[in-house]
Amino acid sequence: MATVTYLILQIVMVLLFAPLVNGVIGKIKALTQKRTGAPVLQLYYDLYKLMRKTAVVSDVSSWIFRVTPYIVFATALTASLMVPVSVEILPAGNMLSALPGDMILLFYLLALGRFFICLAALDTGSTFGGMGSSREVMISSLIEPSVIVVIFTLGLISKSTSVFSIMASMAHSGTSFVGPVTILLFLAMLIIVIAETSRIPFDDPSTHLELTMVHEAMILEYSGRHLALMEYGAAIKQLLLMTLMVNIFLPFDLLPTTGSGAIVVALSLLIYLAKMLFLALIIALIEVNTVKVRFFSIPNLAALSFILAFLGFMQYFVLGRS
Amino acid sequence: MGMFESDSLLGITIVIYLTAAAAALIFCSRQRISILLTQGLCMLAGISGAASAIVFLMSKNTPYSLDLFLSPIPYLSLSVTFDGLSAFFLLILSILVFSVSLYSMGYLAHYVGKRNICIYQVLCILFILSMLLVFVAGNSILFFMAWEVMAVASYFLVVFESEEKETRKAGLIYIVMTHISAALILVALMIMYQYTGSFDLSHSSSAIPQNIKNIIFLLFLIGFGTKGGIAPLHVWLPRAHPAAPGPVSALMSGVMIKTAVYGLLRFVLDYLGVATPWWGYILLALGIFSAVMGVLYAFISKNIKRMLAHSSVENMGILFIGLGIVLVSTAAGAKEVGALALMATLLHCFFHAIYKGSLFLSVGSIHWATHTKNMEELGGLIKKMPVTAVLCLGGALSIAALIPFSGFISEWLLYQSIFSSFVLGQAGLNILLIITAAALAMAAALSSGAMIKLFGISFLGRPRTVHAESAVEVPVVMNIAIGVLVTLSLLFGLFPRLAVNLFGGIVAHLQGVSIGNRLSGNFLVLSFPLQINSNTLSPGLALVMCGGVILIVLVALRCIGGKYTKRVVGTWDCGFKTLTPRMQYSGRAFSKPLKIVFRIFITSTRELKREGEALYHPTSIEYNVKTESALEKYIYLPFIRGVSAMSEKLKFMIQTGSVHAYLLYIFIAVLILMLYNRMD
Amino acid sequence: MEHYLDLLSVLMLLTAIMLVSHKRIRSYIRTFRLQAVLIAIIAGFMGMQSLVNEGSFDILVICAIIVALKVVIIPMLLHKTFANVEDVVEKDFYLNIPILILMSCVLVVFSYFTLSGISALNEGHVNLQVVNAFSVILIGFFFMISRKKAIGQIIGYLVMENGIFVTAIFSTHGMPFIVDIGIFIDMITAVLIMGVMVVQINDKFDSININNLRNLRG
Repeated sequence: MATVTYLILQIVMVLLFAPLVNGVIGKIKALTQKRTGAPVLQLYYDLYKLMRKTAVVSDVSSWIFRVTPYIVFATALTASLMVPVSVEILPAGNMLSALPGDMILLFYLLALGRFFICLAALDTGSTFGGMGSSREVMISSLIEPSVIVVIFTLGLISKSTSVFSIMASMAHSGTSFVGPVTILLFLAMLIIVIAETSRIPFDDPSTHLELTMVHEAMILEYSGRHLALMEYGAAIKQLLLMTLMVNIFLPFDLLPTTGSGAIVVALSLLIYLAKMLFLALIIALIEVNTVKVRFFSIPNLAALSFILAFLGFMQYFVLGRS
Repeated sequence: MGMFESDSLLGITIVIYLTAAAAALIFCSRQRISILLTQGLCMLAGISGAASAIVFLMSKNTPYSLDLFLSPIPYLSLSVTFDGLSAFFLLILSILVFSVSLYSMGYLAHYVGKRNICIYQVLCILFILSMLLVFVAGNSILFFMAWEVMAVASYFLVVFESEEKETRKAGLIYIVMTHISAALILVALMIMYQYTGSFDLSHSSSAIPQNIKNIIFLLFLIGFGTKGGIAPLHVWLPRAHPAAPGPVSALMSGVMIKTAVYGLLRFVLDYLGVATPWWGYILLALGIFSAVMGVLYAFISKNIKRMLAHSSVENMGILFIGLGIVLVSTAAGAKEVGALALMATLLHCFFHAIYKGSLFLSVGSIHWATHTKNMEELGGLIKKMPVTAVLCLGGALSIAALIPFSGFISEWLLYQSIFSSFVLGQAGLNILLIITAAALAMAAALSSGAMIKLFGISFLGRPRTVHAESAVEVPVVMNIAIGVLVTLSLLFGLFPRLAVNLFGGIVAHLQGVSIGNRLSGNFLVLSFPLQINSNTLSPGLALVMCGGVILIVLVALRCIGGKYTKRVVGTWDCGFKTLTPRMQYSGRAFSKPLKIVFRIFITSTRELKREGEALYHPTSIEYNVKTESALEKYIYLPFIRGVSAMSEKLKFMIQTGSVHAYLLYIFIAVLILMLYNRMD
Repeated sequence: MEHYLDLLSVLMLLTAIMLVSHKRIRSYIRTFRLQAVLIAIIAGFMGMQSLVNEGSFDILVICAIIVALKVVIIPMLLHKTFANVEDVVEKDFYLNIPILILMSCVLVVFSYFTLSGISALNEGHVNLQVVNAFSVILIGFFFMISRKKAIGQIIGYLVMENGIFVTAIFSTHGMPFIVDIGIFIDMITAVLIMGVMVVQINDKFDSININNLRNLRG
């Protein structure tokens, strides 16, 4: 029973807040650039509008084109089930029952979505699609080693690679979370999240110039409900990666131990929203202050992320202290 | 000894193979009948071989031996020993033989009237039978004889279409490298005999001192490594596998290179016993190198078969990584970690044979339908060959290690075994392990990229040439054969405990520790999750949840958005109105960014020829790009040139053609031998 | 306390790696200034600690000198001398940035292996702070090798000085005053001389790319 409550609560939170994160980041960017910008709820309006429109499908494409939006959305939502928005809302004592899986499964589910987006982009026979696919393949293969090093280091600190265990051990670790290892891993993870969510400096989410598009190029042919699913899926993926960062590296679950269950849960959700706001602020400030780098400077950023993760690993594990 | 005991099934298998060979020879003139009969008998042999292996593994028999040939000549008796390891590899061989035979029924119809099918089939059966004997050999002599027969049979199969120069050159490189490796293995076997006095493989090896064991290990490493296609000794693989006919490539890539893994497991882990950790370090380093090199070259290949051959190099690298971890943990005494790594390696070996076989067969279907292996000439095949496309997609998802296929299970287990082998205090090992994990991750991402390229450029988009436009769907038989393999891959991906239960006995026997208890799992609706170190995994459950989500999404969209309407128009063309197939991304363009990033390993030479006087309006432009492997250019070619130059010079000194010189050589050799005997 | 020192040593290592990944003179000077600020904080911490424990002021004085010299004066000097030299933008380094970053990572591993053999430094486990500080020295030297323009050599030398200072202060938790004054005077002289020379070279040859010196071979 508790498992079902957790699942429903988690899905509702994820579906409700995924488009909001996009809106918040956009609004912060706009305010720092002294313009009004789109309303915070813009993506909700967009999704609603898109779902009611006719889909325009290319005659060159095959069933892969039509199936991909569903796969992308489903993998993103299923992966988000493995990353709880708050450690408190998990069914008590039994952390492993909801969706058995660990961080490796998480990233491979997202990789499944990416595989199909790249195929769908090639399916339409247009130049934009091929270009987006090839760039996306390069970025993702350069960023994968850092992901694994981060996962392994976090797993070694908490003795297991399951997401729940990592979050629980970071939340209950008595020592201050601002240590050399966690700072390095936080920076490495930040670069990874920016790469995976296609934000500046890796890719500009609001451009449609072929010189600069990566993710947008792949979904260029989509329209109607397909586009709605793709956008929603990307927003959910962004939410889940940010939740992962926030719950692992900023585990402030300072809650009063007394109080009824519902109040504890509500408070923890509020704290979660505050943490997400903070991370959204960081990401927006990075977007405003840097530029999209030249495409062949992306290996520099990927190397930087790998070095940060590797140094974090060395500092913890080789030197025996965290 | 009932009919369904393992040893009698093994005997039946061998008899059926011999009958099939006889049938091929008898019906030489009536080609169609001979194809049906021979391949049908091979399928039957495949079933009985698989049954033999499964019966053995399920009932956990003790190993048994048969004596095939006892002769009064002291060293010439051949015996067969059948234990868990042999059963494992026999299972792989039999499954692949079954599918390949079914496939050949349709594929060989292509060759009727044009080529000598009789010889081809006999060679195939000889090849399969020799591999079977390699796996069940009980003493070194039978092992080596079967090894040589395998090499020679596969050479003739590789040069089956010998009218092309490329094929002949590929065959030459292949036979030279195989023979050098066989010579090294022979030396190692001889050294083993010298110290233990027996050719029997179940004999204990404690009589061999440790530094001799090191030498034997290095010889086996180079010998088996060449056969398995480990960089830097892999240069024959990307040439030989594309040159061979489709079904043969599947067998070679699926089973023949796994004989290297069998050799290492049998001789090093089982026979020699591991006491020093640096053996494992070398295997890890070679494995990382092969994995990264292989997948890089796979990514930039434009010949679809060559891409799969490079991908085999990568997967052999991954297998060597697994073996390296097994050796390192066994030497350090951590048996459970070693057992986990061994299970991961065995599973990867098994799954890779299945999905690589299915991919080679699908690519063979593409070649059958379009007569070309060049990716740049394909495109849009998904509309002409829909069933093949779905099966190829299944194989591609398996290699990319994605849920719900079996590739993910073995990759996950390998990650977990790397994770479990971090030992506090051993800094060097830990750094090597984290670099291994990072390299594995990059190889996995690049191989999924290569599969996107293979599937996307060949099957999707518009057809680029007439070849692709005129493709038709292949015969049903061929698709059923590939379907068997893909279904097996899916089955093991969803129910991994089936495989774990099946092979648990082998791991227990080799490592002394049963991994079955640690890899326990609960039974959930559609899946068997694995549970190690409090990590759980349930790909089936993830799949079910995805399916549930999709259903809910469909319902929600119907509610919010109304009925699904669509309009079919041309692809967005920026108002250009005349999109041609040449405007699509080509395979070379797809891999260009990564080629630039990794330009140290992949050197390209470019050549631009233009005609016409005006600088900006030439009458014609020709642009040539050639990529070559830095390994070959800077290491292999100078070495080969040096050897050739030296042998040119020596040719005139030794092989003078004069009879007197030869007589003199023989005389001196006899004198030296007499002297040696006296001084000993 | 140790915890914060660990953190600061890691941040120093990070600034050293950031330095290697930059391409322009202004960024070099800015990163050097950031590193100097970090050193000042480290010296300030240790100064506070020694003030509380032993009542000695010397480390705090050193901290003030660092702030004056390395954070304010030297970057100003460098800025005046070099920021006007860059009118032709050319590639200042050998190879490419990702490889340079990976090589500095190898240097960190290397310094770990070398220092783990020195048992006097370790109290049962290798001292994290000393390893990081020593890596900064090696990375400074590597920076000197990998840059073509003369400013690269100067900044590399200064980073090495930073590294030496931090290594000394981490391994001994204190520093004899005289030695430190000596190093400081050394450094100022070097910077002044190098600055003057570079201006002269630039006037004569219109470039400070030291590879051009090879054209002077007879």
